[in-house]
Amino acid sequence: MQKTSEIASSTPRVLVIVPAYNESETIRPVLEEVRRAAPGYDLLVVDDGSTDDTAKVVETVAGVILLRLPFNLGIGGCMQTGYKYALRHDYDIAVQCDADGQHPAEHLGALVARVVDGSADAVIGSRYVANSDYIPSLGRRLGKSLLSRWIDYWVGGGITDTTSGFRAFNRKAMALAAQDYPEDYPEPEMIVILHKHGLKAVEIPVSMRPRQGGTTSIFPHRAAYYMIKVFLAVFIDVFRRYK
Amino acid sequence: MSAAPLPTVFYTSHRVALLILSLLLMGVVLEMVRRSYLKEKYAILWLLASFSVLMCGVFPSIIIRFSAIFSFQYITLVFVVSFLFLLVLVLAFSISISKLSERTKQLAQEVALLNERLARVDSKPE
Repeated sequence: MQKTSEIASSTPRVLVIVPAYNESETIRPVLEEVRRAAPGYDLLVVDDGSTDDTAKVVETVAGVILLRLPFNLGIGGCMQTGYKYALRHDYDIAVQCDADGQHPAEHLGALVARVVDGSADAVIGSRYVANSDYIPSLGRRLGKSLLSRWIDYWVGGGITDTTSGFRAFNRKAMALAAQDYPEDYPEPEMIVILHKHGLKAVEIPVSMRPRQGGTTSIFPHRAAYYMIKVFLAVFIDVFRRYK
Repeated sequence: MSAAPLPTVFYTSHRVALLILSLLLMGVVLEMVRRSYLKEKYAILWLLASFSVLMCGVFPSIIIRFSAIFSFQYITLVFVVSFLFLLVLVLAFSISISKLSERTKQLAQEVALLNERLARVDSKPE
């Protein structure tokens, strides 16, 4: 297997980025879990202009870096802020981890390990590869499988869980994200953008939990509309001219 | 049924409407610039547009001539031209809004990054 870019130092500096928009109910246990599971990693919360007490709750957890956006940018602009931070503070690896408790911190090490060994620029935690015990609804499974095939048709890579927001980037992928991060449907679109720039994305199995509170940003009755828009967004990314 | 013959005269009522519209538009645009609600860049565009309408009101033969070229009733030509003008304008605005929102996003991100840094600098003992 071709090595992409091996991390030079023996102990890579890892930043866990948690994007948060009105997650005051769920964020503290998420942060504490990451702390316990990965005490060596730095922890950054990007508060996307929350209107609840998210920032206050984060400030009560010791040692967490908090970035507060002055107003809501949406998940794309929010995550990009985190990647910019990671890049500027010379982290070797940045891991995205949602604030709603869906992503068990025990898998952080596995995501990071695949980046450290240099076999991929981006590692995505997938619910759908073997060993995962997450069972989504039929409609959701169908939609996600179509989306995965759509992306695979255009850029290859065979990523099955294209909407997973549990992912680790090396510095190359981080630099790309800091410069050009999609705003509307960043998770699937970023897979396309990584491939268009010749970076390698792989996925590893992780277990995921149902969200522990708050509300999903994708409502069931809007799912069809979401699908049409995300298909179009991916299509545009395939043919976009990149700087 | 044969097409209605293309008119060669311009209704006075239409002419008056064009004149009033153009003068009104000009007045509003100039006042907006005076109160700095409107940037000169956009004001020039609107002044040019209202000047064209004014010219058409003063010399309706311009409209008559062009509508004859395209075999339009002249009133159709007026609407087609206005529609195309607005179409281009709205597209241009969409482009500038996209650019502005990208800049706003970058500014918001810088504010967040700088605030965090500032908080760290402030909390350090002298």
